[in-house]
Amino acid sequence: MKLRTLMAVTTAATAFAGTAFAAGHETMKIGITQNNVGVDSYQTTYEKSFIAAAEANDAVETVVLDAGGDVARQIAQMEDLIQQEVDAIIIWPTNGEAVIPAVRKAHSAGIPVIVTNSNIAEQGFDFVASFSGPDNITQGSRSAEIMCDKFKEMGTENEARVVQISGQPGYTTAIERAKGFEDRLPEVCPNVTLVETQPGDWNREKSQQVMEAFLVKYDDIDGVYSGDDNMGVGALNAAKAADRADGIIFVGATNFSVGYEAMENGEYWGSIYQSPVDDAEAALQTAIDVLNGEDVPFLNYFDTPKITQDNMTEFTKPVF
Amino acid sequence: MATMSKGRIGEFMARQGILVAFVLFIIGFTLANQRFVDPDNILGVIRSSAILGVMALGVTFVVISGNLDLSVGSMMSFSTIVVLDLHDTLGPLLAIVAMFALTLCLGAIIGFLVGYLKLNSLIVTLGMLSAIHGLTLTWSGGQNMDIADKEGTWFSVFGQGSALGIPVPILLFLGLAALLGIVLAKTPFGRKVYAVGGNGTAATFSGIHRARVVFLCYLMSSFCVATAGLIQASRSLGSQNTVGQGLELEVLAAIILGGASLLGGSGTIFKTVIGVLILGFIQNGLLLVGLQFYVQYVVTWVIIILAVWLDIAAKRGKLWSPIA
Repeated sequence: MKLRTLMAVTTAATAFAGTAFAAGHETMKIGITQNNVGVDSYQTTYEKSFIAAAEANDAVETVVLDAGGDVARQIAQMEDLIQQEVDAIIIWPTNGEAVIPAVRKAHSAGIPVIVTNSNIAEQGFDFVASFSGPDNITQGSRSAEIMCDKFKEMGTENEARVVQISGQPGYTTAIERAKGFEDRLPEVCPNVTLVETQPGDWNREKSQQVMEAFLVKYDDIDGVYSGDDNMGVGALNAAKAADRADGIIFVGATNFSVGYEAMENGEYWGSIYQSPVDDAEAALQTAIDVLNGEDVPFLNYFDTPKITQDNMTEFTKPVF
Repeated sequence: MATMSKGRIGEFMARQGILVAFVLFIIGFTLANQRFVDPDNILGVIRSSAILGVMALGVTFVVISGNLDLSVGSMMSFSTIVVLDLHDTLGPLLAIVAMFALTLCLGAIIGFLVGYLKLNSLIVTLGMLSAIHGLTLTWSGGQNMDIADKEGTWFSVFGQGSALGIPVPILLFLGLAALLGIVLAKTPFGRKVYAVGGNGTAATFSGIHRARVVFLCYLMSSFCVATAGLIQASRSLGSQNTVGQGLELEVLAAIILGGASLLGGSGTIFKTVIGVLILGFIQNGLLLVGLQFYVQYVVTWVIIILAVWLDIAAKRGKLWSPIA
């Protein structure tokens, strides 16, 4: 399926190239190489939204590629985009380190590079025009604040004990969210203890197993912070199976539809609303602004607000 | 007298080295954290292991017949996604039937390629690993799959239900293990599986249809995968497309840990079950001990290699045996 998409995309890309040259350089030609479309709903929705946003804008032509999670393929796609002389390249890095040489190559060729969703490693920053994406450290801090506020409301801020289920070890997003949470929690709720952190690998089943072990190990758990709602719901399932969900405050990040539903049911307290639609539109807009010579901040974050049972009606249910 | 009992212990060790290793780990983890032997924890671990375990039962047949199956992880993702998707359109019962039929078709394709076209099983199933993953993504369009009405369906019984205080996944796992254990050990078909894996040429000369035996082994493997997918889907009532990713290697690890030879011809269902439980209890034990998680990867595999070594050393009757 991926191969077919790629072929279709390549054909489309060739067609785009033809029109761009015919029309001179009146339209901006923006190429994007994504990480791994189809591996999860977030990335699938991102791609759809990106294409929709580009189609709605007459001044923009796009070349949409997907690396399928493969670093080598992504580097080859970067080189293809440089060859095609696109005006700007958006990259969702498969790996924050390995893509740097390809990013540098585009930079030397005079093509501005916009990094989307997850940033590349710091030594590559010189070759990047702007990073467009969520601020994962802020997300972690906000999750800590959501949890702390709830403990204060319940009057348990002086004794609550919290466990953390983090994302896949080694992933920047996982590391940053954990750091944001771990740094912020003692600032807002100094007497809440984070008793243990284990990874749930962004996987609901794995997270459920981790939570089962936590429930055996600790008689007293008052809060669970999960690196995303998919894992959060796995933890909730484990607690429900053990009849201990009632006393536990569940807070996640990247609000998924399952998390939203659990909030509607009153079982899950809160999360961070991060929309793949906003993510995709912000990336495209950043590229357009860079090409128009506007002053774009290097770290161009889009807002990812807090969502809890109290304010969830202000948000539409996530489509992923 | 003393030498005789020593001899008997040695003989027992040689036959059940892996069981001895298992008991040693249990004692070790219990000393580290008393709650390890809490009945709730033990039931929890066996329940979590059931998905991997059911898959390992089927692959045991494939391995004994002298072949490999690397496609079971992505096939399990396929079964899970398909049954969840069809649940809301066809209803639970028809969804389960359709999912088993489709998964068995995949098993039949692999069995045909390996058995009747005599293609190398490593290549075929490695290819199928990717092909089935693509099929799953095509089916789902990359979206997570969730059952809309989670409270109002009896579908959750396979993963979350329990009978006589024992969780259903455990009953399915142990029931299937008992059934397949009997098939492998007590029926003519089981003996043919050993014969095909042990000495294929001799099997042919004794009138065994090797292709048919290999075909049936893959069909059984896909049946087990479908059962595992059913448990998985029912347990979470929702799933990512990558839910089974990487399980193929854990399945093989469990089987080898149980003492089956990758060259075929040896292994038993009972030992595979022990292998599965060792993997499950190691992962749970390390969580309870609370080791930092980067360290857990290292320790898990150190323990697995240690267990294999203990098992082999017991069989050979000596710890030190360089390749000569």
